[in-house]
Amino acid sequence: MKQELIKLIDLSRCTACRGCQVACKQWNEMPASKTNNFGSYQNPPDLQWNTWTLIRFQEIEDRGGNVKWLFRKDGCMHCTDAACIKVCPTEALYHTEFGSVALKAHKCIGCKACIPACPFGVPKMNTATNRISKCDLCYTRLLANQPPACVLSCPTGAITFGDRDAMLAKAHKRATELGGDASVYGDKFVDGTHVLYVLTEKAEVYEHLPTDPKMPLSIIVWKDILKPAGLITAGAVVAGAFLHYITHGPKTPEEETTCEGGKES
Amino acid sequence: MKKGMIKATGPFERVVHWCVALSCLFLCITGMAMMYHSLNVVGSLVGGMENVKILHNYCGVFFGISLVLTILMWWREAGIFSFPEDLQWIMAAGGYLWHVDKVPEVGKYNPGQKMFFLAVALFGAVMVASGLIIWFPEGYAVGTLRLMYVFHALGFVVIFAFFFVHLYLVTIGAPGSAPAMFTGWVTRGWVKTQHPKWLKEMEKDGTLVVCGEKKCSGKKA
Repeated sequence: MKQELIKLIDLSRCTACRGCQVACKQWNEMPASKTNNFGSYQNPPDLQWNTWTLIRFQEIEDRGGNVKWLFRKDGCMHCTDAACIKVCPTEALYHTEFGSVALKAHKCIGCKACIPACPFGVPKMNTATNRISKCDLCYTRLLANQPPACVLSCPTGAITFGDRDAMLAKAHKRATELGGDASVYGDKFVDGTHVLYVLTEKAEVYEHLPTDPKMPLSIIVWKDILKPAGLITAGAVVAGAFLHYITHGPKTPEEETTCEGGKES
Repeated sequence: MKKGMIKATGPFERVVHWCVALSCLFLCITGMAMMYHSLNVVGSLVGGMENVKILHNYCGVFFGISLVLTILMWWREAGIFSFPEDLQWIMAAGGYLWHVDKVPEVGKYNPGQKMFFLAVALFGAVMVASGLIIWFPEGYAVGTLRLMYVFHALGFVVIFAFFFVHLYLVTIGAPGSAPAMFTGWVTRGWVKTQHPKWLKEMEKDGTLVVCGEKKCSGKKA
């Protein structure tokens, strides 16, 4: 790995201007889709194949009984122990040298295995091309030593980008500074994500944010147990058959004759 | 066909058997190409891994239809255990694992074959059901979908292992068995060794068909 990079999202500084959402679409050349108003500033309602990042709008009641607006920039978390990579049959999803999770679209076969695998519900299907689609942390920009488009667009400094250790230190410093329920999200689970949040509220307050995201147990059973077991049991059967043949021997018919009219006599 | 050979299977049975067998084998190969990254090279034979997926899916449909025919055709003969003789056979492992002076006589299908049939029927159905849900996941809960991948992989482990047991027995493990699924005719010696009770039943019922002999000679009116 060349250099592990992390995108830090400090939600205390986010004003929900959605500059990141637009910059993402622009840089990655993704069209808009017809949307629907569901009574929220949040638009579109969820991540889409052509919307890799989205500001989620949420209203909560604080301790004083006042309404409080929460904003969260949602998108791929770029896990180290990434379930999508683990289930991908063709290695289309892969870890870049920066630790982020990118997609080689020409290798994707549209099997949709990564969709239920992701603990954050990030990969989406582009039904027109039958390929999966998700944020790649602006891989082409990183190669050119540029920060991701969303980072560049952020007017308040809520999104910053840099070396892993520096960003981790920065996140913890900021959470301590904010005090109260503020915490760092993303450093502990799935061996660390390459997107970090500084949350102002407890993690469980945020909608669509799992409090304990992890590699699904089903994928561990599937990929770490059943996948090798398929070859091991088949190999054991072949070895057992050979042993059976050379020790016990085959079950050979007592008489090989086929003629003589088939009568028993 | 040589005189004296005994008819073991009909043409319909053989066609259905090979529909299930070859589609199952094809599904194993294409499925493994997707499960094991090092076998992705299989994709180059058919123009890419996406084609492997497409062939796997449609072959699965063919397998499903063939499996239904297989179950309808064989469940009466191979799907039901008859006691106590099947239990006695199992206790002696059919004489396959240790020396048995007299292997308990069972009917047309021995309990080993019945277990193989039931494993294929049960896990084949699991594979078809889970495969269809994986193919068309829209509307299913994430938890359900995750479970389907586990079932699909588990079914593979069982079926793939059974495949090699089957392959061993019909080739060198129990010589003389394979013609039952190719020509349909087997030797009397083979039937006497493998399925003595079946032979007696056919002789008693007059359903024994021997090549070169007049058919239905012993049939009761």
